[in-house]
Amino acid sequence: MTDEVFIYALSTCPWCRRTKQWFTDSGIAFDSVDVDSLPVAEQDEAAEKAYKLSGGRRFPVVVINGEVIVGHNPDKFLEHLKGWGG
Amino acid sequence: MGSAERKESLRYLFARVVDPLGYKLTPDEELADFLLEQEVKLEQDHGAPFCPCQGRTRKRAEDMLIVCPCIPFHREHFDAMKRCWCGLFVHKDVSDPDSLPQFPPDEG
Amino acid sequence: MSGPQWVPTIDDSKVRDGAYVPVYPKGVGVLLVRTDGELSAIANKCAHMACPLEGGLLHGGIITCPCHDWRFDVRSGALLDAPELSIDTFATKVEDGKILVELKGA
Ligand code: SF4
Ligand code: FES
Repeated sequence: MTDEVFIYALSTCPWCRRTKQWFTDSGIAFDSVDVDSLPVAEQDEAAEKAYKLSGGRRFPVVVINGEVIVGHNPDKFLEHLKGWGG
Repeated sequence: MGSAERKESLRYLFARVVDPLGYKLTPDEELADFLLEQEVKLEQDHGAPFCPCQGRTRKRAEDMLIVCPCIPFHREHFDAMKRCWCGLFVHKDVSDPDSLPQFPPDEG
Repeated sequence: MSGPQWVPTIDDSKVRDGAYVPVYPKGVGVLLVRTDGELSAIANKCAHMACPLEGGLLHGGIITCPCHDWRFDVRSGALLDAPELSIDTFATKVEDGKILVELKGA
């Protein structure tokens, strides 16, 4: 069973780094974007997506199989990962 | 002012602001250093030490609520976590900041 | 070292209702503010990052810092969103048409 994971992040946010590191260490493939590292013209659109999903301005925004988790919260990540019985 | 000096002056300014609110700088010095460095860069690029862990919208009324320290505007949420969203500031009684989870305001 | 002292500033008539005037008694940055006819004196220095409050919007006894929009009650000096944080306030009195500001001892 493969999990689909997407991480919205900011390059300035240490918890975003830890979240990516956690997925890497756990051997779970993910896609991600550092919103503030995009070309300026694309930043607003990516940020809006993250804001819509999360209902706020906080990063990281982690989407696991369509479920949205806001913040670096490994317990919550596990709940939603099928490979871990979530 | 050089970046290193600016970082120190933000550290000093902000410690004074958060103290009456019951917060202190995180004892995780590496984290504090990294975050303050990001804020100095954000201030240079965008005119204010915006939060490194929250996104701007270019609407002034919204963006001013995430200039560091943003604790006055997110108090209930941060009090519930015993830390600010970035973890730059923690409640005064916190000695092990890594044990504090990061969760959104509606999941207190 | 001296105790509190009353320092003369400007004419009372210079501070219009709903407006403020910056003064510098003994070099201390103070804003004289009149709101609903009542005079108050606050430090001309924001509790956030020390920007001068001068230039900020004054409305209904609330002054908004021009730098990042923190709002303070001009009578108590308290930050509206967290009253534990405040700017300094000073006592005032009017004698012979002049406003005097009380500075704490150095
Ligand atoms: S979350 Fe913390 S670091 Fe970020 S702006 Fe607020 S107080 Fe500052
Ligand atoms: S210095 Fe006044 S709001 Fe930041």
